[in-house]
Amino acid sequence: MKRHLSAWVVAGWGLLNGLLLAVLAVYGESTLVYWLWGAVVLLLELAALVVLSSSRSAPDQHVRYRVPDRGAGAVLPTAIGLLLVALCFVYGRWLLFVAVPLLVLAAGMALRGTTARER
Amino acid sequence: MRQRHVFGTVFTLEALVAGCVFVVVLAVLARALVRRRAGDAERSERPRLEACYVGALAAFAVFLVAWTAWQNHVEHPAAGPKPLRVDVTGFQWCWTFRYPQSPDHRRVSGTCKGEDMPTLVVPTGRTVQLRLTSRDVIHSLWIPGLRYKTDAFPHHVNTLTLTLDRAGRWRGRCAEFCGQRHWTMDFWIKAVPAREYDLWAQGGTAAA
Amino acid sequence: MTVVPPTETQRDDAGRPVPPGSWLGWVSTTDHKRIGLLTAGTSLVLMLFMGVLALLMRGQLAQPEETFLGAQVYDQLFTIHGSGMIYLVMTPFALGLGVYLVPLQIGAPGIALPRLTLLGYWLYTLGSLTVLAGFLTPTGAHADGWFSYPPMADSEHSPGAGTDLWIAGVLLAVTGSILQGWAVLWTILRRRTLGMTMLRLPVFCWAMIATCLMVIGAFPALLAALTLLAVGRADASVFASNVWNIGYQHIFWFYGHPVVYVMFFPYLAAVAEVLAVFSGRRFFGYRGTALSLLVFAALSMSVWGHHMFATGQAANDYYSLTSIALLVPAGVEYFGMLGTILGGRLRLRTPMLFALAFVPQFLIGGLTGIMVGTPVIDYHVTDSYFVVAHLHYVLFAGSAFGLFAAVYFWFPKVTGTLLDEGMGRLHFWLLVIGTNLTFLPMFALGYLGMPRRVVTYAAFDGFGLLNLLAGAGAAFLAAGMTVFVVNVLHTLRRRHLGRARPAGDDPWEAHTLEWATTSPPPRLNFPAGRPLPPVTSFAPLLDLRRREQREGSAV
Repeated sequence: MKRHLSAWVVAGWGLLNGLLLAVLAVYGESTLVYWLWGAVVLLLELAALVVLSSSRSAPDQHVRYRVPDRGAGAVLPTAIGLLLVALCFVYGRWLLFVAVPLLVLAAGMALRGTTARER
Repeated sequence: MRQRHVFGTVFTLEALVAGCVFVVVLAVLARALVRRRAGDAERSERPRLEACYVGALAAFAVFLVAWTAWQNHVEHPAAGPKPLRVDVTGFQWCWTFRYPQSPDHRRVSGTCKGEDMPTLVVPTGRTVQLRLTSRDVIHSLWIPGLRYKTDAFPHHVNTLTLTLDRAGRWRGRCAEFCGQRHWTMDFWIKAVPAREYDLWAQGGTAAA
Repeated sequence: MTVVPPTETQRDDAGRPVPPGSWLGWVSTTDHKRIGLLTAGTSLVLMLFMGVLALLMRGQLAQPEETFLGAQVYDQLFTIHGSGMIYLVMTPFALGLGVYLVPLQIGAPGIALPRLTLLGYWLYTLGSLTVLAGFLTPTGAHADGWFSYPPMADSEHSPGAGTDLWIAGVLLAVTGSILQGWAVLWTILRRRTLGMTMLRLPVFCWAMIATCLMVIGAFPALLAALTLLAVGRADASVFASNVWNIGYQHIFWFYGHPVVYVMFFPYLAAVAEVLAVFSGRRFFGYRGTALSLLVFAALSMSVWGHHMFATGQAANDYYSLTSIALLVPAGVEYFGMLGTILGGRLRLRTPMLFALAFVPQFLIGGLTGIMVGTPVIDYHVTDSYFVVAHLHYVLFAGSAFGLFAAVYFWFPKVTGTLLDEGMGRLHFWLLVIGTNLTFLPMFALGYLGMPRRVVTYAAFDGFGLLNLLAGAGAAFLAAGMTVFVVNVLHTLRRRHLGRARPAGDDPWEAHTLEWATTSPPPRLNFPAGRPLPPVTSFAPLLDLRRREQREGSAV
């Protein structure tokens, strides 16, 4: 337990949510709520599994780190592309003609690894 | 007036407890500030004290939960026999009150502009059941003098049961934001003696 | 400690070298300190803007039957003020603080998922601009409050592009916050340095764990609620059924309550760090506090229905049970804070002043929170100014004071320069007077029957005097914030000109690892030639100082 405490924190927190959901079921609530909260408990347990698998494959504490910055230049174009996609809802789907090429460009930059490297 | 009474009891108790807690915390803060150069305590944990404290907090929480839940049930008793029914409809931006049990299905409405506010007339001493709904968006019927409100949803009926012990007139408001004239959505609720009410329900105007 | 630079760096040459100060270096930075600064800085600027909106509202309400702003403008103001402060200011600042501080506090050279963190920042910024762009549309910005219940928010009752822009903008901004939440959580769980076990994490990191768990658990519900709203605006028949009208409220508040704690825990923890440092002792009741934060956060996921007591369509007894249960973990945190200062040697510098004021002021918000969590009280005070007062005591008198404590406390670490102490004290006192003068009368207003979100009120309602007091308080707040802005700009200017006195690595004799590096810290956080102090507890620098003292006296 102590070895994978980080995963247990997430899992335990999810279980506490599950417990509270079970108490709510005693009081009774609309079906939608069970689906919503139940899905969240599931999501949290999945997150705990991911943490657990990472924790099992590497030490709990580190001395060697990777500090990745490859392809960071693609981030802003991606964000603008996503903004345009969201704006389709306001101004119509024609914006996709701008958004999709921008996202493709961003994907290209990410693959190529374009970034602004500080010095 | 049951709502007002229950609210008064619970609010007084919680306000008193809250006041005491606030004063205690303030006193501890003041003590720390006054004696700030005194000790250099090294202990950074007192598990036993903490456990006792948590126990006390939990006990108080259990009391508060049980007692306020009980008060909530006192506030909403099962409907007595034959309440007076009034169908209330909120709309942008005023209210309509219908009396389905009155001889000619009396109906009161208004525009909520200036002095044109509708008056909900009810008899004193008799249980009144308001059946609340809305024609468009969500409104909320709030009678501050009664310390109570209930939302009016479209496509849904909520009931609000009240009994007014004495004659009088109170202000009612809309509490849920419902658009540009939300702030003008006021009405009057007027309690009159039963006989006067009967006259009014038969088409009289004396009370309203 | 060995820091291995990215292996890719040596392999490919797609990266363009830029000088550190250039704009390209900022917009595509993967340095968590820069991303954290961008996030916190953007949210501070937005805070000033949202504050101006609040001043306009207080101006409108200062007198009865005032016509200074029409209802159309006023409704936009309270909507953008509320949603802006919650979605675009207090939440992003809290996460930005985490992005900046967490890797430093756990001794890591960077954040996990740096590019997603950066994407989170840009989505947040672009989303904020989208929300604000509503003001430029012919029908104005969105005007239906921060929770925007349907059917009021549907296309029939709220036509106009402002609402659509609001939905799109909030969706983007919150997506950004979720990404940053994942990054911070993963960093704490999986990027700790040697010796930094989970039970040696600083209190702030524990608070960030609880915060980020709520972010990843509850924030997706807001995305669902906004999507539901968007669908309902495209197809009006959705909100012709009560199922989705009340369903929206459940989904929204499933996000809407935990977010309050997301906007509270990081500031509470900043206050806890400040109280401990300026009391010269370690935080009292560490394990109890860490555990209570997690329980607090889990309970906060279960209380959303207390916003729906008056709908007549929620399991009121359950939500009341969980809401009142919150007093237990909250009591444990107060125990820790008061226990810390009780036996300490208090140094009353500006961060400490803000932290000390936080304690009683937030308490007012918390105690009235128990009241509004009690159904029979809530039936009267919900949707009234009582709730407005309560939430401002929580978020302004509480969280914002924690925010300023954090700004004054970590400013020397971030910039290498201390903020001016005199102006800091002036800022503090103006804010204390302004906060209580503005928000205390609102409790009475709500009790007396003033609904929230009203553009004005009649003279015979008798709300005039209390609203006038609140307006006067708002003037103090405006003055205080002006002093703050002048202080920050003046200090940064002096620093730019090289006239500022350097703060040194650890001007406050602090406890945690971020103070064991230079101010500001280098790109990879800890200078290569300087070993990290051994992580012996959650306050490693305090341990080090104590050891040195002991050795010094032994000699």
